[in-house]
Amino acid sequence: MSSTDDIDINAYVDGELTPEERLEVLDALRKDPELAREVCELNNLKSQLELAYAQPPGLSGRSAVRKRPAWLTLAASVLALAVGVTGGWFAGVNDRAGDRLVVLDPQGRGQAPATAESDETRIVFHITTPDQLAAGELLDEVETMLQAYQRDGRNLRVEFVSNGDGLDFLRQGLSQHQERIHQLAESYRNLTFVACKNTIDRLQVEQGIEINVLPDAEVIESGVSHVVERQKEGWAYIRV
Amino acid sequence: MEKKESRSPLQKLGRNRRLRQEACAQRERLYRLAWSWCHDQHLAEDLVQETLAKGLSNLDRLRDETRLVVWLTRIMANLYRDQFRRKREETGHELEPISEETPEQAADRSLLVQLTREAIASLNEDHRQIITLVDLSGFSYTDTAQILDVPIGTVMSRLSRARKRLREELEKAQITSASVVVPMRKPS
Repeated sequence: MSSTDDIDINAYVDGELTPEERLEVLDALRKDPELAREVCELNNLKSQLELAYAQPPGLSGRSAVRKRPAWLTLAASVLALAVGVTGGWFAGVNDRAGDRLVVLDPQGRGQAPATAESDETRIVFHITTPDQLAAGELLDEVETMLQAYQRDGRNLRVEFVSNGDGLDFLRQGLSQHQERIHQLAESYRNLTFVACKNTIDRLQVEQGIEINVLPDAEVIESGVSHVVERQKEGWAYIRV
Repeated sequence: MEKKESRSPLQKLGRNRRLRQEACAQRERLYRLAWSWCHDQHLAEDLVQETLAKGLSNLDRLRDETRLVVWLTRIMANLYRDQFRRKREETGHELEPISEETPEQAADRSLLVQLTREAIASLNEDHRQIITLVDLSGFSYTDTAQILDVPIGTVMSRLSRARKRLREELEKAQITSASVVVPMRKPS
């Protein structure tokens, strides 16, 4: 590729060409996969740079990009506080463990209380499907359940853990249930949404873009490890 | 752009108050750009502070209000070139990417972010400035030419070379860091 071509391709990526020039480049891209790959890489580079400087040291609060929780601290909390619970909950059977639960957020945000109530039903929904219609129906069911437990004065804890293809459920701009999730998270302290950092990191590297999750979601290191821990603690596990 | 216009005293007061607010609202954007140039929190803070001080005291010289951001960024680029570069040459202070971060902060940052910052820091100043002006701050080629006071053709050729260089650096970094789980540069 000549240096003139280089300059044109850069100008194309930066939106600096006239409509006629853009058409010419588009035509060239259709005929030349190598050139198309070059455009793709330049676009990735731009996104990568934006991501790299979204939160420089010394920039306080109100950033366009949400500050990530200290996931290492969270992971340590999970390991330190997780207490194995015997006699788990299966298909409508309440466990009576009343043990300490994992603190999802050491800063006190989020909905998870530090200590479990007695007579508590605990369910973790593992969202691995990109099918947001199914996830939406699940939200309906869970809300009905939360209402029923609240009405009857019974204790319930519910977690949604999204990873892999299921992360879209909690991604800003991609989740079809952002408002609903916010409304539910505000209404029910016993409901928590959790996103997998491993998935976020992988997507960021693969796609070269910044992945933002909903403000109502907590981020933990590994979604899979988390649901395994929950099962060990006796939570009912339902994969969606 | 910097010619003085005649306005009534009241018009001038109102205009300058509005522009001051708009200029201060650019603080975060300017800081992000300044930090990407010097990778030093204190230098970046000083640079932004001086830029705003100089800009606010010279608001009368800004003719086209819609060009406020470009105008402020041009002031910052000039300050950086004249003052901070000289200071760094005098003191021998070298660019030390992410040197202020604690290991905990560094560990909290993704590998991709870290490698990108290091690659940017390894570029020469012309390349680093042009690539951050266009990609980070989103300035057009025309605005960038005005900020750096170079012809638009220079912006285009320099940007093309800068990106090529950056990609080479990133490729190199990713290969050399392949065996490291979380590469961190400790504070010097």
